[in-house]
Amino acid sequence: MAEKNISQSIPGQAGRGLRFAEVQHAENAGKTLRRIATYFAKEKAMVLGMLTVVILGTLCGICAPALQSRAIDIIAGQRQGRLLTALGAMLLVYLCYTVAQLLQGLLSSHLSQRIVKKFREELFGKIMDLPVRYLDTHSHGDVMSRMTNDVENISTTVSQSLPSLFSGVLTVTGTVVIMVWYCWQLALLSCVTVILTVAATKILSARVRRFSRKRQALLGQLNGAVEEMISGYRTVVAYNYQQTTTEGFCDTSDELTRAGIRTDVSSGIMGPIMNCISNISFVIIAAFGGFFALRGMISVGVISAFIVYAKQFSRPINEIAQVYGQLQTAVAGAERVFIVLDEESEDSSGMALEDGQAATVIFDHVNFSYNQDQQVLRDFTLTVPCGKKVALVGATGSGKTTVVNLLMRFYDVDSGNISIGGQDISTVGRASLRKNVAIVLQDTVLFSDTIRNNIKYGNVDASDAQLQAAADMSRCSEMIRILPGGWDTKLSASGENISQGQRQLLAIARAFVMDPRILILDEATSNVDTRTEKAIQDAMHDIMKDRTSIVIAHRLSTIEDADLIVVMDHGTIVEQGNHTELLKKQGKYYDLYMTQFAGIAT
Amino acid sequence: MWKYIKPYIPFALLAALGIIGEVTMDLIQPTIMSRIVDDGVLGVHSGGTGNLHTVWTMGLLMILLVALGGLSGTLNNASVHYFGQNLGNDMRKDCFRRIMSFSFPQMDRFGTGSLVTRVTNDITQVQNFVANFVRGLLRTTCLTFGSIFFLFRLNHTFGLIILGAFPFVVGVMALCIWKAGPLFPKLQAQLDEINAILQEDISGLRIIKACVQEIGEKIRFGKANDAQIKTQLRTLVIFAFMNPAANILMYLAILTILWTGSRQVFAGSATPGVVMAAITYATQVLDGVLRLLMVFQTITRGLASWHRVKEILDSEPELKDGAGTEEPLARGLVEFRDVSFSFPGTDQPVLEHIDLTIHAGETVAIMGATGSGKTALVSLIPRFYDVTEGAVLVDGVDVRQYRQKDLRDRISIVLQKAELFSVSIRENIAWGKPGARPEEISIAARIAQAEDFILSTEQGYDTMVAQRGMSLSGGQKQRLSVARAVVRDAEILIFDDSTSALDLRTEAALNAALKQARPGCTKVIVAQRIASVRQADRIVVLEHGRIAAAGSHEALLDTCPIYRDIYDSQMGKEAQKVG
Repeated sequence: MAEKNISQSIPGQAGRGLRFAEVQHAENAGKTLRRIATYFAKEKAMVLGMLTVVILGTLCGICAPALQSRAIDIIAGQRQGRLLTALGAMLLVYLCYTVAQLLQGLLSSHLSQRIVKKFREELFGKIMDLPVRYLDTHSHGDVMSRMTNDVENISTTVSQSLPSLFSGVLTVTGTVVIMVWYCWQLALLSCVTVILTVAATKILSARVRRFSRKRQALLGQLNGAVEEMISGYRTVVAYNYQQTTTEGFCDTSDELTRAGIRTDVSSGIMGPIMNCISNISFVIIAAFGGFFALRGMISVGVISAFIVYAKQFSRPINEIAQVYGQLQTAVAGAERVFIVLDEESEDSSGMALEDGQAATVIFDHVNFSYNQDQQVLRDFTLTVPCGKKVALVGATGSGKTTVVNLLMRFYDVDSGNISIGGQDISTVGRASLRKNVAIVLQDTVLFSDTIRNNIKYGNVDASDAQLQAAADMSRCSEMIRILPGGWDTKLSASGENISQGQRQLLAIARAFVMDPRILILDEATSNVDTRTEKAIQDAMHDIMKDRTSIVIAHRLSTIEDADLIVVMDHGTIVEQGNHTELLKKQGKYYDLYMTQFAGIAT
Repeated sequence: MWKYIKPYIPFALLAALGIIGEVTMDLIQPTIMSRIVDDGVLGVHSGGTGNLHTVWTMGLLMILLVALGGLSGTLNNASVHYFGQNLGNDMRKDCFRRIMSFSFPQMDRFGTGSLVTRVTNDITQVQNFVANFVRGLLRTTCLTFGSIFFLFRLNHTFGLIILGAFPFVVGVMALCIWKAGPLFPKLQAQLDEINAILQEDISGLRIIKACVQEIGEKIRFGKANDAQIKTQLRTLVIFAFMNPAANILMYLAILTILWTGSRQVFAGSATPGVVMAAITYATQVLDGVLRLLMVFQTITRGLASWHRVKEILDSEPELKDGAGTEEPLARGLVEFRDVSFSFPGTDQPVLEHIDLTIHAGETVAIMGATGSGKTALVSLIPRFYDVTEGAVLVDGVDVRQYRQKDLRDRISIVLQKAELFSVSIRENIAWGKPGARPEEISIAARIAQAEDFILSTEQGYDTMVAQRGMSLSGGQKQRLSVARAVVRDAEILIFDDSTSALDLRTEAALNAALKQARPGCTKVIVAQRIASVRQADRIVVLEHGRIAAAGSHEALLDTCPIYRDIYDSQMGKEAQKVG
């Protein structure tokens, strides 16, 4: 049973991509459209310019066949007039048309790129301003796809769909008017085309939509699988899973191909069918036109014009049908983007953290939970005196990291309060607070930039001397020296010749450069050997004299020399004191400490 | 490329056949039309009286031809998509297979993000390119040249006029493509950059906020965004010029046809019907050229993508399988013989002249400073990398002589960074041993000290792990990856600093359970904490890529100053009293 389960579900190929299929229709299209309109409203001149140009172009497009038919009539001798004038008029119209086309192309590309730029900037800015909670609780891939897929859809719609929708509607109306004016009987006959087109589009599009939904879902699944397998490649190789993974991938890929062929074939049939329909209308026009011409009701030129018009007529109808679908997808995409944009930003208001105050941190009866059913901190009260080093110890899930989250105001307390130097941090602006507190986390985040820029990330104005001092203190100057590019070595995301421990050292250097009043090390040296760690601690000793540090570590050697060791369990403090006191107590800390000596045999 | 096209040649031929049918019908049409106009409506050849009968018969014939054309078109359409999609599928599968045979340096060279876009987006582009090539290019070329041919048959002068305009149109197109061509790869690279920043910043948001660098990141993103938009705009502008320029040239040609046509009609050498047909053909040529432009756009894009795909397909796997060996006798013996190693692409040595034998069933711990080469050392055992000098032997056989699969089947390694997959906890553990029975999984979880927290979740073993294990804490992730390694019946077990997030009590319990459950297994443990390694049979101390000392805990305490130093750094002064 287990075996069956496993063979059926290759990781990353289940449960993904559903969102692609489900939400192709906006929940509230009207509201979203109005909001999109506000973006265009800011580009008034361009939008107006484009509309003018589209109208001009469309009018020319409608006029051209009429002029052409006049010229032919003159040639056929059915109409009096100078051919040269007719041709001159044609040239003029063609020139106008070309210029209009060019301007439309230029304007629509500028407009679409401006809007894309704006959307991207706003969305990215929003992501940066969102509280940490949002990204902790939402799939990163989903957020990414708003930026890549959804904004892209909006862009295509702006640059291509909208002008063609507009000119389509205009062309259809104009053509109908002229056709009726020339010969209403033939115009009526041409409408057969419309009916056929609409019918064909309706039948086909339902089919296509069904298939394409499936295709989108499979595509999402495939992308997810590729991403997961490639980023977890080391594990794939270590467990000889290349074969299995490939098989799973191939199955999805085959299925995707089948769905893809179905979608493409059924949507591709539209082309020949439209071709057929437009030719049928051609015959109808020729036959009936000939009939009418024999009766002397119309001239040959009119037939020629009708043939062109009939073509002009069926194309936009087909286009409108297509564009409508694109438009719907884009609106749905825009709605998803707006949902993110409407998320509440982190509140940046608040006073500055006062300088000169002692950096005493006080947690006063703090309660906190990430979600309602699980209390993480219970009545947590702790004073971290200025200039002291406090260590938090406890099992996984005892709430140590939560303390950091609260102190940095990544999350806010449910009740109780936290103060620094007597100032309640909920009244302090987040930027000011965070400038004074430096953190180093276990999962080291470094950016794909030079080592220099990574280290001065928290303090862009740092001098080279400061950087060097920080690197010396965090014991990474030797490593930087050996690297081929030295300080200017570019770090890559995978960073093959920098080990996990070395990355931690760089992160520590970054924190030192910030010159913080409070330093938090959350498992910051877990991959660093204890001797290097000791050296860093010794170096820190002097500079941290009138600053406060909070250290979280499993390795008791990391925290042994702390002024205060706080043992936590299930969100409450069970013991506190310094190393010697706690050992004497023979309580929880003593138990933990003894396992160091009991070692593997315990 | 040919390799991928070859199996589908019949479909390509079928597609071509369909196109020829479709295009022929399209081409015959205007001729019939000119007959309908000349004979049926105007009666040019019968003294000015039209003939409705001709109009009807010709009309019916035309509808028949059109239907036939439509059928051919559908045939073409179906075979083109069958062809394109299958070709893309083959390519995609080959790419993925190739990627799965990459060595780690190869993987790092491409980068995760780039590989993902190559396998997904780029292949789709290539697929479109092929479909466009077969349908679009063939159809439009046939139509364009067919129209020109028919035009010539109709009237030489008209043919010459269009032919005269043609080089200019082609010139305009060539100019645009020549200008825009280099922009496509650039565009792709800039898009990659935007996505990379986005990905990096989303996962590093805590640090960005902690360093109050939100504005800095917005500026960085803004720069990348501006650059991409600028390039995009440049391509769009180039193509915005291409269409109208080609258009106006063709319009001029049509005007010329009308002008000369009128001369010929007056001179009696052409009929109005012929002029009309000529204009229809000319419009078709124009249409064809416009479509050609679009086809060329996708082709330029497609080619850029094909190059990116080709880079994957052309990368030879760097680690070649060995010839394979007879089942060696010893089980779990690992030897390093004068091994030196530096990461590919650098000449900075990570390991130098390592000689080390790890006996079957022995537990060996590796300690050393950050950057001393611990991870590199254990990575050589499952042949994640090849040695620069010397040899690594498993069970007396050089690892390069094994088939990679056979070698890695003997080894179970827990990596420093716990990578989990988005399937259930049960399936994640079962990765270690496909088809593992539920009892085996539960035993492994118990050894890894993971069962308690697994059972405390609502769905127990069926709890889904979110992408990259985001829903789990560091310690939980580590325990699950230990369970995954333990469930495997491997003779060599390697822990690469993989219990660092566990508290000492849990780690000790894990080690004890492991010792009891798998006594005969060779264990190589990279660790930082003395407590984790104290009970090992032997402890190897690495310093700057060399073995500084090796021996039992007690022996090293006496003889190795570095070890003593590590010990002191962890045990403090109390150590002397208690230990």
